[in-house]
Amino acid sequence: MSRYAVNSLLYRLKKDRVFRTRFNVDPEGALAGLDLTDAERAAFLARDMQRINALGGYPIS
Amino acid sequence: MGKIVFAAAMSHVLDPDYYQAACGLSGRRKVEACMAEIGKLGDTLLAHRPDALIVVADDHLNAFSFNAVPAICVRIGRDVNRMIQDEAEAFDKVLDGMPERYALHEELANRILEDGLGAGFDLALSWEAPIDHAFLSPVMTMHGARPVTPLVPIWINCFVAPQPTPARCFAFGQHLARVVARSPWNVGIIATGGLSHFPELLLPRVGESDVVFDQKLLRWLTEGEHEPLRSLTPGELDKAGEHEFLNWMALIGAVTPARADVRYFGELGRINLAAVEWRVG
Repeated sequence: MSRYAVNSLLYRLKKDRVFRTRFNVDPEGALAGLDLTDAERAAFLARDMQRINALGGYPIS
Repeated sequence: MGKIVFAAAMSHVLDPDYYQAACGLSGRRKVEACMAEIGKLGDTLLAHRPDALIVVADDHLNAFSFNAVPAICVRIGRDVNRMIQDEAEAFDKVLDGMPERYALHEELANRILEDGLGAGFDLALSWEAPIDHAFLSPVMTMHGARPVTPLVPIWINCFVAPQPTPARCFAFGQHLARVVARSPWNVGIIATGGLSHFPELLLPRVGESDVVFDQKLLRWLTEGEHEPLRSLTPGELDKAGEHEFLNWMALIGAVTPARADVRYFGELGRINLAAVEWRVG
């Protein structure tokens, strides 16, 4: 589990409009280089907030 | 010699439209009933002609970010802005009609910070952090159209583990009381948030509250039984969805051993709303 990477990513997706647009256009590219496990990366690519939360993502972010 | 002339704690999402959407018409009615009691608490506060109002609340990763998450942070400076967000949550949108800037009680905030560091509380400080619904919804519900009492906003990290312990928040509240006692001012204090909601911060548990735990807390407060509160663990608070009770713990430390009166308690399922006043007169 990469607690910081998951939560900082959630934070950027919520607060950073440019990054959010990039993620929507090219999700794999937006996540490239981030210190995520395979399960975390898959949860973000699936936009599965329940799974992201179960993996340690703070929903408040 | 200064004095805490008023102390109360209350829920801080005070948005009838939000609760109607989330919980139906009964949600609207309950939050309106809770807000009516908070308005009466405002009358009581203002009748004491307070010099300052300390507001202990939590950040929702609005003012702070993963750049830094302070355990306890004191807002200093001359004034504070309300948070303005492009894509605000519904219950932060209620801030839109509120004034953009609020006066701070600069000297009291500085004393809390400086004396706290001298007393072993490694407090964070901020000159710039804005305040969101956790501060302004209760403050404006209490004041209405009346001039807002000079504020001392204080953040406690309630959500990003590891949080400060309940005992530490209580001890910080005792520090607040000592600072006020050494000052020349009449001071009100409120703590916001809660009661139980969002246990374990797990999305599948949104919609759950813990009435039994809430009632236990309220019983201890009304009976002035503060020792069991100091023994609470962060894990217990997390499981029960009582994360924001850390704010209340600081207030309890500030007024201990005063007893409390429950002005409102309403079960919504999603959250249990509350408004509580302490007998500090």
